[in-house]
Amino acid sequence: MGTQAEFDQMIKSGELIESRREMTPEYLRELKHTLIVSGDTELISAPAYYLAAKRAPSINAFMTGIAIIQDELAHAHIAYHILEELGEDQEKLIFSRDPKSFRYPYAFDVPLDSWTELVVANGMYDQAGFCLLGDIHEKCSYGPWKRGLNKVMAEENFHLRNGRTWMKRISAAGGSAKDELQRAVDWMFPLSVEWFGLPDDLKMHSTQLEYRLKGLTNDQLRQWWLSTVVPYCEQIGIKVPAHKETRDGKDVWELDYPFPCEFDAENKRWDFKQPITWDDVLVRWRARGPRNAEMVAMFQEEFHKFRKTHHNGES
Amino acid sequence: MNERLWAALSEVQDPEMPVNLVDLGLIYGIDEHEGLVEVDLTFTAMGCPASDFILEDVRERLLREEGVREVRIKVVWDPPWTTARMTEAGRDALETWGLAV
Repeated sequence: MGTQAEFDQMIKSGELIESRREMTPEYLRELKHTLIVSGDTELISAPAYYLAAKRAPSINAFMTGIAIIQDELAHAHIAYHILEELGEDQEKLIFSRDPKSFRYPYAFDVPLDSWTELVVANGMYDQAGFCLLGDIHEKCSYGPWKRGLNKVMAEENFHLRNGRTWMKRISAAGGSAKDELQRAVDWMFPLSVEWFGLPDDLKMHSTQLEYRLKGLTNDQLRQWWLSTVVPYCEQIGIKVPAHKETRDGKDVWELDYPFPCEFDAENKRWDFKQPITWDDVLVRWRARGPRNAEMVAMFQEEFHKFRKTHHNGES
Repeated sequence: MNERLWAALSEVQDPEMPVNLVDLGLIYGIDEHEGLVEVDLTFTAMGCPASDFILEDVRERLLREEGVREVRIKVVWDPPWTTARMTEAGRDALETWGLAV
């Protein structure tokens, strides 16, 4: 490894980092943190989606749901595998961490209880993942991750399609089916908006941006997400609390509610009359939501149980 | 007319891979009689997670062709699909994408 200045110059010039030897300790720390968020997000989406996919309305739909879960596990594996190459213990990361220390978006902690909620997750959460990973895929300074994301992006497209196709179908069915879809969008849309984190004016410094671990700011990513989700929902006749404005000749997506605001996770309800601060949001995120422990236990418990019986059998 | 229908289906992309259904070798036959189109098609696997999307895309694309009033699709498994059913163009498309076939 060269000096910090040489390293900064490498990053600035757009060169790709290929191995641990080339990294500064701070770059390695930031890269690991970004990979853990990505791996945890993909991993936890598997139990979150599985608990809803069980309610698929047909065998074909169930197969699609299961295939998506299989993709998500594989995407998690890519991130954890890179972490292992960077000196982390993959097994410990997945099976021995406290549920509360997993670093995935809060949205997954709120149970998806129906096929309708699952397809809205495919349309909205996977779109958020698509924006975040698409940005990393384009801009990331770490070569092995950038290349690994080639295939991930293609597969995420399939998840979006499942979400959009089903949302359109359910909306077209009308009646109580459409009402259920609207209710799902009502609580899941603001959770997805929150997914991208603090607004830029509160986040003064981003090491991830400096190190080109990503290329877009939180607000830019949020705008990208809004620019795809809002028109689609409007096109299929579903209401969302956001609209487009033109400012200085540019399209800007504005939210029609105070951001951030109070969320009742148990009842899946937002109180748009109750603005809160980002400190309040961070408290909610850190405490994690209703399904955190159950989902992490879904893969950790069996791992340890199997290990124990296997070990006993051997001794 | 038949040629036009094959051309129409070669515009339908597989939902998971950047290759169209004709080059992928999924379309086994197209028969048209007075606006009724019957299509025999297969999937690369019985558990194909995209089967619903493929059926929907085929139906929707054929119904956009002039003179087509109804589309009936029969999913067939004999002969089973293998990579040997792909066209040269299909192979090239997937190799460019990074999949050796």
